[in-house]
Amino acid sequence: MEQSVNYLGLIPLFPLLGAVLIGLLHVFTCNRTKLPEKVYGILACVGPVLSFVMALKVFVALKGLPPESRFLVHKAFTWFSVGDLHINMGFLADPLSCLMLLFVTFIGSLIHIYSIGYMGGDKNYGKFFAYMNLFLGSMLVLVLGDGPVVMFVGWEGVGLCSYLLISFYSEDRSNVLAGNKAFIVNRVGDLGFVLGMSFLFWAIGAQGFDYLSLKAHVNDPAMTQGVLLTVCLLLFVGATGKSAQIPLYVWLPDAMAGPTPVSALIHAATMVTAGVYMVARFSFLYAEVALAGSIVAWVGILTALLAAIFGMFQEDIKKVLAYSTVSQLGYMFAGVGVAAYSAGIFHVFTHAFFKALLFLGAGSVIYALHHEQNIWKMGGLKNKMPKTYVTMVIGALALAGCPPFSGFFSKDEILYSALATGHFGIWAVGVLVAGMTAYYTFRMIFVVFHGEPRDHHAYEHAQESPAVMTVPLIILAVGALFAGLLNLPAIFGGDQIVSHWLAPSVTEHHPHAGVFIEILAIGASVVAFAIGIKIAYAKFGKGAPEPSFTGFADFAYHKFYVDELYDKVIVQPYKAIGSSIWKVIEPNVTDAPVKGVARLYMVLGTAFKVFQVGYVRVYALYMVLGLSLMSLLLSQSLN
Amino acid sequence: MMHCYLYLSIILFCLGIVGVIARRNVFTVFMSVELMLNAANLAFITFSRVHESMDGHVLAMMVMAVAAAEAALALAVVILLHKHKSKLDTNVFSLLKG
Amino acid sequence: MFEHVLSVIIFLPILAGLILLATPASRSVARFTGLAVSLATLVLSLDLYAGFQATGHLEFVENIPWIESLGISYALGVDGISLFILMAGSVLLPLVYFVFGTREKGYYANLLLVQGAMAGAVCAADMILFYIFWEVMLLPVFFMLGLYGGPQRLPATLKITLYTIAGSLLMLAAIVYLGVSYHAQFGEWSFAMDKMAALNLTGRVAAVAFFGFMIAFAIKIPLFPFHTWLPDAYTEAPTATTFVLSAIMAKIGVYGVIRFVVPVFDLEFARFAILLAYAGVIGMMYCGLAAIAQKDFKRMLAFSSASHMGVIALGVFCMNIQALTGSIYQIVAHATSTGVLFLFAGILEERTNTRTIDDLGGIAAKAPVFALYFAIAMLASVGLPGTSGFIGEFMIVLGAIKFNTAVGVLAGTTLIIGVCYMLWMFQRVFFEKTASRSENFKELSLVEGLAFLPVILLIIVMGIYPHPFLSKITPSTALQFAQPASVVAQAPASNAQNLGLTIEQK
Repeated sequence: MEQSVNYLGLIPLFPLLGAVLIGLLHVFTCNRTKLPEKVYGILACVGPVLSFVMALKVFVALKGLPPESRFLVHKAFTWFSVGDLHINMGFLADPLSCLMLLFVTFIGSLIHIYSIGYMGGDKNYGKFFAYMNLFLGSMLVLVLGDGPVVMFVGWEGVGLCSYLLISFYSEDRSNVLAGNKAFIVNRVGDLGFVLGMSFLFWAIGAQGFDYLSLKAHVNDPAMTQGVLLTVCLLLFVGATGKSAQIPLYVWLPDAMAGPTPVSALIHAATMVTAGVYMVARFSFLYAEVALAGSIVAWVGILTALLAAIFGMFQEDIKKVLAYSTVSQLGYMFAGVGVAAYSAGIFHVFTHAFFKALLFLGAGSVIYALHHEQNIWKMGGLKNKMPKTYVTMVIGALALAGCPPFSGFFSKDEILYSALATGHFGIWAVGVLVAGMTAYYTFRMIFVVFHGEPRDHHAYEHAQESPAVMTVPLIILAVGALFAGLLNLPAIFGGDQIVSHWLAPSVTEHHPHAGVFIEILAIGASVVAFAIGIKIAYAKFGKGAPEPSFTGFADFAYHKFYVDELYDKVIVQPYKAIGSSIWKVIEPNVTDAPVKGVARLYMVLGTAFKVFQVGYVRVYALYMVLGLSLMSLLLSQSLN
Repeated sequence: MMHCYLYLSIILFCLGIVGVIARRNVFTVFMSVELMLNAANLAFITFSRVHESMDGHVLAMMVMAVAAAEAALALAVVILLHKHKSKLDTNVFSLLKG
Repeated sequence: MFEHVLSVIIFLPILAGLILLATPASRSVARFTGLAVSLATLVLSLDLYAGFQATGHLEFVENIPWIESLGISYALGVDGISLFILMAGSVLLPLVYFVFGTREKGYYANLLLVQGAMAGAVCAADMILFYIFWEVMLLPVFFMLGLYGGPQRLPATLKITLYTIAGSLLMLAAIVYLGVSYHAQFGEWSFAMDKMAALNLTGRVAAVAFFGFMIAFAIKIPLFPFHTWLPDAYTEAPTATTFVLSAIMAKIGVYGVIRFVVPVFDLEFARFAILLAYAGVIGMMYCGLAAIAQKDFKRMLAFSSASHMGVIALGVFCMNIQALTGSIYQIVAHATSTGVLFLFAGILEERTNTRTIDDLGGIAAKAPVFALYFAIAMLASVGLPGTSGFIGEFMIVLGAIKFNTAVGVLAGTTLIIGVCYMLWMFQRVFFEKTASRSENFKELSLVEGLAFLPVILLIIVMGIYPHPFLSKITPSTALQFAQPASVVAQAPASNAQNLGLTIEQK
C-alpha cells in the first residue's frame, strides 16, 4: 500500500547540512576576517529552495497515486530498538504532511531571501542563517516524521532554534530572558508530549510506534476511553506550549524580541502551527473521544478571545501581530477541536501566507524607521512606502476575514463547522473575535500608514525597502489574496480541493447542516468584519493621538497581569523553594544525621579525653590495671 | 623450693612496676624497666629448671640481648630528651595530653 | 586482540602511576606520561570495543584462582553493561591531560591510579576483587582532593572519605554474607558474581545485606538522601577529580546496583524498588531545585550532576528493559555531557579566576568555539533530541511510566527542571554584556579544540544514530529480565534450611 522513496530523507537534510556548513564557517571566521555576506546569503537559500523543489516532487508523486493509497514512506535507519520499543528514523509523506511541506519550504525560502536584505550589516549575519537553516530542517523533521518520537525530535529542535533566535541579540538581557521563557514554557508543554507518547506506547505502541501502525491499532482493547482521553489531553498540553494557547501562551508575545524575519517564519507561519498539525496528525485518536475535542476547541476559542482583547491595546507593531497570531491559532484549535481537521489545517495554510506577509511588512516598516517599533511614533507612511502599504493592506484584509481574501474562507470554514456540529458557544465567541480582529488589525494599519506623521525626523528618513525585501512581500500578497480559492466551498461554486486532498490523512466527518446554516455563518462573519473595520476607521482613520488607558483598557493593556501572576505564583516560589532547599533544608535536615554522627564522635572524644593525661607513667598504670583486671577475670573463669 | 624463686621474681617485677609508675626521673624509670626484665628472666630460668628443658634459657638469653639493645636505644633517647628540654623529668614530656 | 587485554587496561595505568610516584619525575614528564598511558589505554579499549561480540554474557574472561581455600579468584570480564562504563572512562580521561595548566606530579600519578582502579572495579567478576578495586578507587580521590583541592578542601575530604568508607564496610559485610550463604547452600566456597544469582536468600538477614549493598552504592551514586558529601567534594576538588567523580565513579555505583543488587536480591529488590524509585525521583527534583539557588557554577553543575544521577538510578529501579537500557545509555551520555561541562567549568575558572556566575558574561562573543561546545554539552545534559541525552532520558521516563505512573510523571519533570538552571546559567555566563572578568577570555587553543572535538561529535552521533551502541547493550540488559535460567539453578529453600544456614538462624 505504501511506497518507499528515498528522497524523502533529503528534504530535511538539505537545510540541516546548510546549517552545519554555515555555522562552521561563521564560528571560524567571526572573530577574524569575515566572509562577505553574499556567501552566507547564497548558501543559506540553497537548502530551503532545494527542499522546496523536492517537496514539489513529493507532491507530484502523491498526486499520481490513487487517493486512498497516497502514502510515501522512507526508513532512513533504525533509530533505537529496545525490547518492544522499535523506533525508526522514518519519514512519511501523505497529503497532510505534503501540504505542510509545501508551504513550509515555500514560505521558508521566501523569508530566507527577505532576510538577506533585512539582516544586512549585522555582525552575526552567518549565525542568523545557520539558525534559520537549522530551524527549517527541524521543522521539516517535525512535519515529515513518521511517528510521534521522530516528530518530537523536530518539535524540540524548532524549540531550540526559537530560543536561539529570540535571544539572537544576546547582549540585551531582556532578549535572552524572553528566549529562556520561550524554551522553559515550551518544555512544560513537551513534558505533556513525552508523557502522552509514553501512555500511548504502553497501550498500543508495541506493534509499531508510527502513525500508520498506531492508526491501525486504535481500536485495540488496550485503548480504553480513559487511556484515549489521557493521551489526547497530554498531547494537547504539548500543543498548548508550542502553539501558544492558554495557559502557556505567555512566551509568544515576548518572543518578538527576535529579528523580524524570525517572527514571521517561526512565530507566525510555521513553528507555532505545529500544535495544530499534531492534533490533526493524531486525528484518529481525537476522533475517538469527543470530550478531548471539545476541550481543545474551547481552549482554542478562549485563547482567541483573550489574545484579541490584548491585541486591541498593544502599542508595539510586532506585539499586535503576535497577539493576532495567538488569536488565529486559537481559531485553528477551535477548528481541529470540533473535528474539522481540514478546516483547521487550511487555516494554518492561509494564515502562513498572510501572517508572514504582515510580519515581513512590519519588518519593512521597522527597517525603514531604523528599528522603531512603537506604532504611536509612526504615521502617514503610505506615501513613503507604497509597496509595503499595499501588500500589508492585503494581508490585513486577509487576516480580518474580508471576502474574498484567503483568511475569509478558512476562518469561515471553521466557524461554519462549529455551528454545524452544534458548538454554538464556540461559534458565537468566534464571530465576536472576528469583529475584534478586524478592529485591531485596521487600528494598526490606520495608525501606521494613515494620518499625519508623528515623528517627523524618522518620517523624513523613511524610504521603501530594497527589492530583495519587497519581492517576497508581493509574492506573499498574491498568496494571501488567492490561497483561499483552493478550498472554495460548494456554496461559491468551488469543490473544496484542500479538504478532499487531506481526506486520506485525517479522520473527519463532514457535517451537512444545510444552506441556511452556511449562509448564517458567512453572513455573521461578514457583518462582524464590517463592524470591526468601521469602528477602527472611526477612531483612527484620520489620525489619532496616542491614547492613555484607564479602567478595563488599562487592565487589558497590561495583559490582565497574567505575566505578573505567573511570576508571583510559579517563578518566585520556584526560586524560593530552590534557595530554601540549599540554605535551610540541606544543612538542617538532610545533612543533619551526618553532622549528628560527627558530633556524637566529638562528644565521646571529649569525654574520653580526660584519661589522656600525657604522663607516660600514668599510661603504664593503665596497662598494669588492665592486665590485673584481665588476670583476675581469667583466673575466675578458670575456676 | 621453686616457689621461693618465683616469689622473688614477683617481688622484683612489682618493684619495677612501682618504679615505672611512681618515679619521675627518666633514669629511674629505665632502671625499673630493666628490673622487670630481669624478674622475667628469673622466672624463665626457674621454669627451665623445673621442666628440665633449655627453652627457658634460650629465652632468657634472648631477653638479655634485647635488653642490651634497648639500653643503647633508650640511652640515646634520653640524651635527645635532655637536649630538647634540659630536664629528665617525665612530667615535662606530656605531649600526648588530650 | 590478545588474551589479557583487560588486565593490561587495568594495570597499565596503575603501574605507571606507582612508578611516577616512586621516581623524581618532573611535572611535565608526569603529565606527558599520564597522557601517553591514557591514550594507550584508549587504543586498547577501542580494540576491545571492536572485538566485543554482544553475546550478553561476560566476554574477554580471565580467571585465575587466587585464594583457593575460599574460592576467591582473580576473575575479569566485560558485558554490555560494564563495557560502556569502561569505555566512558577510557575515552574521556585523556582529555584531562590536554586542558588546564601543568599540575603536580602526584596529581597525575593519582589520576592514573584512579583510572586503573575504576577499570578494575567494572571488569571484576569476583566480589572480593571488586571490593578491592572499589576501595583502591577511593584512595587517589582522597589524595587529589586533600592535597590539590580548593580552600575548603579538608572538611570536604573528610566527609567524602568517611561517607564512602562507612558504605564500603557495609558492603564488605554483605559480600561476606553472600559468600557464607553460598557455602551453606552449595557446600563450596565461591565469590564469583555470576554464581550469586543462584542463591536463595530470604529472611531479615537478607534484607539487611540488601541494604548493606544499597547504602554503599547509594553513597557512591549519590542517591538522595546520601548525597550531602557531593556539593562540597565536587566544588572543592580540582576539576579533573570532579570530572572523575561525576563522569565515571558515580556510574560505578549504578553499575554495582545492576550487578549485585538486581540479580542477587531479586525478592528484596522487587519489594523495595518503589521506595528506591522515589528516592531517585526526589533526589532528581531536590538537587535540581537546589541547583537554581547556586551562585557558583561548579556547585551548580555538582547539583545538576546529582539530579541526573537520580534519574539514572531511577531507570535501574523501574525493573523493565527500556528503563534499564535507558539508564546505561544515559550513563554514557551523562559522562560525556556533564563530564565535559565540568571540564569546561574548570577552563572557565582557570581563565577568569572566578567561579561566581554573576562575575561573568558575554563569553559567547569572545570565544565562539568554546560557547558552541559548551552549548552542545549543555543541550545534551538537558536531554534535547538529536543529542545523546535524549535517548536515555526518554527510555527512562517511558519505563518509569510503565513501572508506576506517579513516578513516571515526576521523572518527566526533569525535562523542565534541568532546563531552568542550565539556561539561567548559560544566559549569565555566555550571553549578555561582557563582564570585566571575561573581557580577555581566551578562546580554546587549537589543541584543546581538537581534543574536545571527538567527545562533542560523540554526543551528537550518540543522539542521532544510537542503534550501534544500543545493540551492544541490549543483549546484556535483556538477560537481566530473562530470569528462567537463574530460577532453575536456585537451590531449593528447604535445602538451605536443612543445611542449617547458621547466619539465618542466629
